[in-house]
Amino acid sequence: MVDILPLSSYPSYIDLLPSIQTCNITNLPENYFLKYYLYHALTWPQLSFVAVVRPKNGYAQHGGADAYPKVVGYVLAKMEEEPTDGVAHGHITSLSVMRTHRRLGIAERLMRMSQRAMAESHRAQYVSLHVRVSNTAALRLYRDTLGFQVESVESKYYADGEDAYAMRMDLSDMWVDWAKIEREDRERAANEEKDGDEGEAVGEMGKADDKKDQERMVRVKVGRGLGVGDLVEKNEAAGK
Amino acid sequence: MPQPLSSKDAALFRQVVRHYENKQHKKGIKTAEQILKKNPNHGDTLAMKALIMSNMGQLEEAFVLAKEALKNDMKSHICWHVYGLLYRAEKNYEEAIKAYRFALRIEPESQPIQRDLALLQMQMRDYQGYIQSRTTMLQARPGFRQNWTALAIAHHLSGDLEEAEKVLTTYEETLKTPPPTSDMEHSEAVLYKNTIMAEAGKLEQALEHLEKVGRRCADVQAVLEMKADYLLRLDRKAEAEAAYTTLLERNPENSIYYDALIRAKGLSKDDPKALKAMYDSWVEKSPRGDAARRIPLDFLEGDDFKQAADAYLQRSLKKGVPSLFANIKALYTNVAKRDTVQELVEGYVSTPQSNGSAEGQADADNTEFLASSHYFLAQHYNFHLSRDLSKAMEHVDKAIELSPKAVEYQMTKARIWKHYGNLEKAAEEMEKARLLDEKDRYINSKAAKYQLRNNDNEKGLDNMSKFTRNETVGGALGDLHEMQGVWYLTEDGEAYLRQKKLGLALKRFHAVYNIFDTWQEDQFDFHSFSLRKGMIRAYVDMVRWEDRLREHPFYTRVAFSAIKSYILLHDQPDLAHGPIATNGVGEDENERKKALKKAKKEQQRLEKLEAEKREARKAASTGKSADGEVKKEDPDPLGTKLVSTQDPLLEAMKFLTPLLELSPKSIEAQTLGFEVYLRRGKYALALKCLTAAHSIDASNPTLHVQLLRLRKALDGLSEPLPAQVAEAVNAEFETLLPKSQNLDEWNESFLSTHKDSVPHIQAGLTSRQLLKPDTKSQCEQELTATLDSANITIDTALAGLELFNEWGSDQAVKTAYAEKASGKWPESSVFRLE
Repeated sequence: MVDILPLSSYPSYIDLLPSIQTCNITNLPENYFLKYYLYHALTWPQLSFVAVVRPKNGYAQHGGADAYPKVVGYVLAKMEEEPTDGVAHGHITSLSVMRTHRRLGIAERLMRMSQRAMAESHRAQYVSLHVRVSNTAALRLYRDTLGFQVESVESKYYADGEDAYAMRMDLSDMWVDWAKIEREDRERAANEEKDGDEGEAVGEMGKADDKKDQERMVRVKVGRGLGVGDLVEKNEAAGK
Repeated sequence: MPQPLSSKDAALFRQVVRHYENKQHKKGIKTAEQILKKNPNHGDTLAMKALIMSNMGQLEEAFVLAKEALKNDMKSHICWHVYGLLYRAEKNYEEAIKAYRFALRIEPESQPIQRDLALLQMQMRDYQGYIQSRTTMLQARPGFRQNWTALAIAHHLSGDLEEAEKVLTTYEETLKTPPPTSDMEHSEAVLYKNTIMAEAGKLEQALEHLEKVGRRCADVQAVLEMKADYLLRLDRKAEAEAAYTTLLERNPENSIYYDALIRAKGLSKDDPKALKAMYDSWVEKSPRGDAARRIPLDFLEGDDFKQAADAYLQRSLKKGVPSLFANIKALYTNVAKRDTVQELVEGYVSTPQSNGSAEGQADADNTEFLASSHYFLAQHYNFHLSRDLSKAMEHVDKAIELSPKAVEYQMTKARIWKHYGNLEKAAEEMEKARLLDEKDRYINSKAAKYQLRNNDNEKGLDNMSKFTRNETVGGALGDLHEMQGVWYLTEDGEAYLRQKKLGLALKRFHAVYNIFDTWQEDQFDFHSFSLRKGMIRAYVDMVRWEDRLREHPFYTRVAFSAIKSYILLHDQPDLAHGPIATNGVGEDENERKKALKKAKKEQQRLEKLEAEKREARKAASTGKSADGEVKKEDPDPLGTKLVSTQDPLLEAMKFLTPLLELSPKSIEAQTLGFEVYLRRGKYALALKCLTAAHSIDASNPTLHVQLLRLRKALDGLSEPLPAQVAEAVNAEFETLLPKSQNLDEWNESFLSTHKDSVPHIQAGLTSRQLLKPDTKSQCEQELTATLDSANITIDTALAGLELFNEWGSDQAVKTAYAEKASGKWPESSVFRLE
C-alpha cells in the first residue's frame, strides 16, 4: 500500500532524500545532486511530497529497513524565486512515479498536495511545469485530470533536444483569507484589552515583493565555491 | 596590524575583495597582482589572492601562497581568516577552527570571522562553542531575528529545550504588533517554538499555544498535523477524531491517518465490521482512492475477506493496475488469504467473463482483464511464499501472448528466470523488455541492473549510457558518479566483487563512500542559508538526519560489500593483481605463480586499454562538467591503488566504524565486524560483536561458527592476552559459550535442533570440521545431502558450494554437488562449473 507523506514538514521524512534521488535517477534523464533536493526541502518545506510503500508492520522510528520504506514516487516543488512576470507562483521541478506503481493515482495525489500547499502557504497565483511533448500520459494527467493549460511550447527544452510544453494552472481559489484572519485576531485582541489599540488597517499583506526584499537582504558569499545559489541556476534548465 | 598601502593600492585592495565577493575570480587575481607588483610582501593581498585561487580549484598553490602571506603578516586577521578558509575547503575542520580563533583574537569584533567560526562549530556539532559564538553574535546585533533564532537552535540541539524556548519568547516579546500573516519567518519561528514545547513533553501547553497562533501560520498542513498528533497523544478523542477526519479529507492516501482515526474513535481491532464500515465510508468520500479499499483486506477473514478481495482484485485487474500484486503480497504470510487470492484469480482466468455483449470494446476489455489476471498469477507463482516457477512461466507467456507490448509482463518473465537461477537468461529477457519501450529510463535501469547481476559490467554501462550525459568527464560512468547514482555504483561494484576484480569493486564502493561524505558536507551551506530563509523546523530535522546519515540502507549495503572485499584481499593477497582462479587450499606453488603471472599480465593489459580510452575521451571532450568546474580525469580508474593497500583490514575499518555505530541492530554488521576484528587480533572487540549478534538472534548460523572460531582462536593464542583483557574476555565469553561446554556436544545439539534448516546445517557441518578435521568426508556427504532438503533455496545451495572451497574439498566433490544441484534446478545456470 502506498502512502503519500510530506517530505520535510511535519512529520519530516527528510531521511528519504537518498531514496528519492534514486527514484529520480532510475526513472528520469534529468538528475540532480542531493544538495538540490535539500535546497527544495529546506527552502519550501511545505511543497514536496513522497509516495512510499507502507512497511508491513508500520513505520519504525529509527533504524532498520522499516525506517526506510521503499520510495515509489515524489514531487519536488518550489516557488519561483525571481518570477519574470512578477507574480508569485509555484513550479514543479520534478515529478516521478515508478513504472510499477502507475495507474493508482499517485502522481495526481502528489500534485494536488503540492498545489494546495503552494496556494495556502505561499499564495501562489498559479503553478507551472514543463512536460515533454511526447509524454502523452503526463500530458493527460496535467491537462485532463488536474486542469492545467498549455501556455507555450519551449523549443529544445530538454538536453536531448525534445521540446517541452510549458503548462500552468491557477491556484488562487485555494488561497487562505489572511485579511480575515488578521481582522479577527485584531478584534479578539481588542476585546481582550479594552483599552486596546486598534492598530492600523492591514489589508492585503500577501504581496510577494514584501517578502522578497527581506530575503534578499543578506547574501553571504564566503564559503565554498559551490553555494546553494549556484545550484539553483545550474539545474534550472533541467526541470520537468 | 595590517601592513599599510598607498591610498591607490588600498582602493585596489577593496576592489579585490569586491571581485572575490562577486566571484569575478580572474579580475580579482589581476587586481591583486597589480598591488603585489608594488608591494610584493603585502600579506593581506597575498591572502586574498590565495583565497581566490582556492575558489578556482587551485587549492595546493593557494596554501603555499597563504603560508607566505602569514609569514609576511602574522598579525593580520585577514591572513589567518583566509588560512582557516583554506583548511575548511580542504575539510580539515579542526585546523580551520584554530585559524579562525587566531583571527578572532586579533580582531574580536569581526562579524565575518565570528560567523565562519560559528558555522564550523555547528558543522562539527560543537554545541557549547556554537552557543558561545551565537551569544556573542546576538549581543553584537540583537535587532536581527535570525540571531535570536540561531541561539535558540544552538540551545535546542545541545539539549537545553527550556533555554531554547526562552530565547524565542524573549524575541517575540519585543514585537509590539503581531507581524502580518505573510511573514513567513515569523510563522515558522512560531511553529518551531511549538515543536520545542512538544518535544519537551509539554503537550497541553503546546496544544494551547498552537490553537492560539496556528491559524496565522502559513504551513496549514503542518498545523493540522501537529494539532491532530497532540490531541491524540493527549487522549482528547473527539477532537482528535475531527482533526484526523480533516486530514483524511485533504489526503485520503495516508494509512497513518486511518490508524489514528481508529484510535480516536476507540474502534476495536477485533471488530472488523465496524472497521470495514469506517473504511467503506471513506471509499464513498474518495471513490478513486486505493487505501480505504485495500486496508480492510488486512483485517477481514474468511468469507468477508473473500468477498472484499474479489471486489478489490477485479476492480484493479480491470483497470490494469500494474502494482496490484505488489500491493497484495503482504497478505501472503496468512496462508488462508494466500490460497483465497490464488483461487479467486485462477477462477478469473478459467471462466471467461460474461459480458453479455459481443462488441469489440467489450472484447478488448476482456482481453485486458484476462492478460492482467495471467500477469497477476505469474507474479503470484514467482513469489517465494507461493512459488511454482513453471506455472509462473506458463501464465506470463499467456499474458505476453495476449498483450505482447506490455513491458511489465516481459519484466516479470525476466524475474522468473532470475528465480530459476539463470541470470544470463534473466538479463536477456529484461533486455527484451527494454526494447519494448526504449524511451523509458525505468526499464532501461532494470535491464542494466540485470546485466550487472549477470556480471556483465560492460553491457550494463552501455545500457546506462543511453540516458546519461556522456559529454561529462569520464563519459557515462563519469555522469553516474557526478549525479550520485548510488544504486548503479553499488551494483557495478558488487558485480566486480563476484568476479573477484577487487580493484574495480573497491573503486565503486569508495565512490559511494565519498558520495556519503559529500552528502554530509552538503549541510554546511544550510547552517547560514536556512537562518536567512527562516525555515527552521526543516533545518533542525535535516541536522538530526545528517547525524545518522549512514544509517541508510544504501550505506550499510555498500559497507558490507567493501568490508567483504577487504577481508577477501587480506585472506588472498594475490587478488590484488586481478581475479585468480584458485582452489584455495592445497594448490601447488608453481601453479600459483603461473596464475599470478597471468593475472599480472591481464592487469597490465587493462591498464593500457584504460589509458587509451582516456586519451580518446580527452581528445573528444571539453573537460568541463555541468557546474562549469574543470574536472580532472581519475588517475586511478581501475582501483589499482586501492587494491594495493598494505593493510586491507585497516581500510575496512573506515567502512565498519560508522556501520557498527549507526546500525548496531544489523546482525550482518556484527558478524562482519567479528571477521575484521578477529583477523586484526582484537579479541575483545570481536567478542563485543558476537555479544551484540547474540542478543539480536542467538541461533544465527554465522554466529554459531564464529563462536567456535573465537573459542579456538583464544585457545590457540601464541602469546597470552594481557591479564586484564583476558579476564574481561573470558567473563563475557562465558555467558555465550562456557569454557566447560563440551564443544562436540554443543555443535551436535545445534545440528539436531535445526535439522530442518539448511543454513544451520551448513554452519553445524563447518563447525564439526573445525572441531574434528577427520570428519571431512562425512561432512561433505552430509552437505551434499542437504540438496535433498525440501526447503533448500538456490541461494542456500550456492552458499553450500562455496563452503567446499572454504573446506578445501576436492574438485570431484564439488563437481558432484554441482551436478546434483543442476539436476534439481535444471533451468539454472549458477551451478555450471567453469
